[in-house]
Amino acid sequence: MSLSDALPTFLAEARGLLEAMETALGVLDGNPNDTGAINSLFRAAHTIKGSAGLFGLDHIVDFTHEMESVLDRVRDGALSLNSSRIELMLLCRDHIDRLLEVVEIGSEPDEALLTQGEELTARLRQDLPASAASPSDPIHWAPVTGDDPVRNLGSDPTEGDTLWHLSLRFGRDVLRHGMDPLSFIHYLNTLGEVRQVYTVTDALPPAEEMDPESCYLGFEIRLHSEADKQCIEDVFDFVREESQIRILPPGAHFPQFLALMQAVPEDNHRLGEILVGCGAITERELEHMLDAQARQKSDASPTSAPRLGEALVQEERIQPELVGAALRRQQEVRRRQAQESRLLRVRADKLDSLIDLVGELVIAGAGLQAQVQGQGDTALHESAQEIARLVDGIRDGAMNLRLVEIGETFSRFGRVVRDVSRETGKDIALRIEGAETELDKTVVERLADPLTHLVRNAIDHGIESPEIRQARSKPSQGQLHLGARHEAGSVVIEIMDDGGGLDRERILAKAKERGLLPSDAEPDDAEVWNLIFEPGFSTAQSVSNLSGRGVGMDVVKQAIDALRGGIEIESSPGQGSTFRIRLPLSLAIIDGFRVSVSGNEYVVPLDMVLECMEMPRDLTEGETPHLNLRGDVLPLLPLGAFFGLPKASVTRRNIVVVQWGGRSAGLLVDELQGQLQAVIKPLGPLFKGLPGISGSTILGSGEVALVLDVPGLLERVVSVDSASYLQ
Amino acid sequence: MNLVKSHDTHQESGEDNADALSQYLSFQIKGESYAIGILSIREIIQYGRVTSVPMMPDFIHGVINLRGAVVPVIDLARRFGKSATQINRRTCVVLIELPNEGGENETQLLGLLVDTVNEVVDIPPEAVLPPPAFGSRIRSDFILGMGKLADDFIIVLNVPRILSRGDMEWVNQLDHSALKADAN
Repeated sequence: MSLSDALPTFLAEARGLLEAMETALGVLDGNPNDTGAINSLFRAAHTIKGSAGLFGLDHIVDFTHEMESVLDRVRDGALSLNSSRIELMLLCRDHIDRLLEVVEIGSEPDEALLTQGEELTARLRQDLPASAASPSDPIHWAPVTGDDPVRNLGSDPTEGDTLWHLSLRFGRDVLRHGMDPLSFIHYLNTLGEVRQVYTVTDALPPAEEMDPESCYLGFEIRLHSEADKQCIEDVFDFVREESQIRILPPGAHFPQFLALMQAVPEDNHRLGEILVGCGAITERELEHMLDAQARQKSDASPTSAPRLGEALVQEERIQPELVGAALRRQQEVRRRQAQESRLLRVRADKLDSLIDLVGELVIAGAGLQAQVQGQGDTALHESAQEIARLVDGIRDGAMNLRLVEIGETFSRFGRVVRDVSRETGKDIALRIEGAETELDKTVVERLADPLTHLVRNAIDHGIESPEIRQARSKPSQGQLHLGARHEAGSVVIEIMDDGGGLDRERILAKAKERGLLPSDAEPDDAEVWNLIFEPGFSTAQSVSNLSGRGVGMDVVKQAIDALRGGIEIESSPGQGSTFRIRLPLSLAIIDGFRVSVSGNEYVVPLDMVLECMEMPRDLTEGETPHLNLRGDVLPLLPLGAFFGLPKASVTRRNIVVVQWGGRSAGLLVDELQGQLQAVIKPLGPLFKGLPGISGSTILGSGEVALVLDVPGLLERVVSVDSASYLQ
Repeated sequence: MNLVKSHDTHQESGEDNADALSQYLSFQIKGESYAIGILSIREIIQYGRVTSVPMMPDFIHGVINLRGAVVPVIDLARRFGKSATQINRRTCVVLIELPNEGGENETQLLGLLVDTVNEVVDIPPEAVLPPPAFGSRIRSDFILGMGKLADDFIIVLNVPRILSRGDMEWVNQLDHSALKADAN
């Protein structure tokens, strides 16, 4: 595989990372100290840089390098991500996106793009020290500087916890080697301030045995210092061999250590590396401990050697709390890695061809069932049943492969809300619910545009400016709610705002002006709201730069219709509007209910079928196609007449009660043929716009049956009704 | 019913595309002979199991299942303004591949309902004459040219024209009229 073959993979991966960046920035916008998000931001930039380097995309490498440098400083705690930096990072993200687009079409970035890149780079450089540390250095654990909380703690009156604890036991021969313990203690004062020295004299032998040239003293020292453990340890470089030096970090450093632990790269998941990474122990200590551990292992049975964490605590090199935290971090990292490795990237077309095959299998299975039914062989019948059960399982499993959570799409709107509310000067909070709701991948992809449009609409036209909101005694912050849930075989997605609601009078006036309604019509609310889906319908008095992006509500409706879904609106003046999108769970394979009309077979999606019944004898088809169903008026749709089919002579006809989106109607058919699994096949461009038919499927017999478009039929029932009322 | 196939193999065994360009499949509709260039033909199948689609123009005979794909079938006789094809033992569906209007590299598979398939004939390019301005039995824009055979002329059809997108507007008009008819 040559590199150019891998380019699409790179682009796909980079786009994924940009999405991750955006999500992370969204998190950081609310909580600037979220180390997880900072790390994922850094990782994304780093990975893009690395992969871009592989392809020789120098402009991307150079740009992401600057971004990475800034992020590196953020990660080290030297910079904080305030909202202007987040803004900058978002702009940088977009810039990378555009650079990728340029790569995709195989051209070079143009002048405008380069200028933009330079501007962004200049802004990024403002956040870097003059000699910017190369971010490709191995991760360096620079001591925290600047407005770091630890430094401030030094002046805290309750500083017991801010002091280093040094436990020194000098070797017997230090004096003979020309070292004076006192000079070390003095030297400590250059790193900070020695607050307390307690001399340990336990090792002093009786006077007659004492050798004046030996050192028997130990010291317990409380040191106030901003140096890190490594620096303090370095003081004792010359005596380390023969002495026992233990340095316990101050308790006040714990939060810092914990934060740093989170920041330790995730490929380090060994306890020692985590502790060294956050500076709680030094490399040397770790080596020493590991050596000791290895020795003990070889000495005694391998299991009896203490574990690293226990040993560190025993040797008083570190507080148990830190080991505990490091262990937790270690487990967290391991868990996350385990989760990552359980995900598998599969090419979508491979998956599609599998689903196609499963579709064929379902059809073939139905054929087999039909054959077997005619035979009296019980054993054969049972085997066929077993196979049918397995095919069901395979079908469900295969369909499940295509399901993705809608949350990813939803979280994208955090950015949209942020941008648009900034543009319009509104204060809007986005609330997301049901992000884990699963939907077919194709559906999710095709939903992105209509959803974006609805969200923009809600912000631009729905939610009022803070001043108006206050005048209407509403909280000045507007609420935008995005929700998804499963409901009776369909998925419902809601976009709800607490803005001004739709203006009934204005829509009505506009519709009458355009001749969509007779001037004396008084339609109900739902009909009025539906008018906004008419092509070219706009009541906006001024065109902002948000509207006029070329997508109207009619396009939203078309997109949702194409997914065999429906959209409904609820709105009350001053309270806000709700746009409710209802979509079928799956596009490819459904459970269907087979009916026949005048010798033609049709399939109704089973999850839209409420019940079936024989047509009451006293019901005459004619002027009032309605049925009294347990006290409710049920409109009837004679399918044969609707499709213009010749009337068949059937003794008793049947009614299939269907429902969708809160509406129901009875379909008048000749015969009920029972359930089947239907693999939906598109009918092709020739049949585009065919009313009442959404696709086709192949029956077990090999014949083609048409799948009824229940939402479309219901709409027709309703519009026919209202048409007859208007007359 | 594998006329084309046998000719295909014949073709592969030596002749090149240039020869295939001058090869046409001839078939009969209502006693009249027509021809289609062989390169657009994918296969010929026996007539069977057609599902009719409601509310479509009458020349759209229905859809068939071609090994899992749903393919529309056009009744050419109806398209030419004659009475519907009478289905009998020799009725065939000629499956042709057309470039999809709008789609770049996609092709659309369509079936043509014909009374009988005759044979593959060679008509060199110079023997294809321009369509007559008048006097033919079908719309002249459906005719690509008149192929000159040994003792007769054969109508070479302009298939993309016969199945052009213009016909699909039909469906939308129908949509509204159906609704009105129902409302009344």
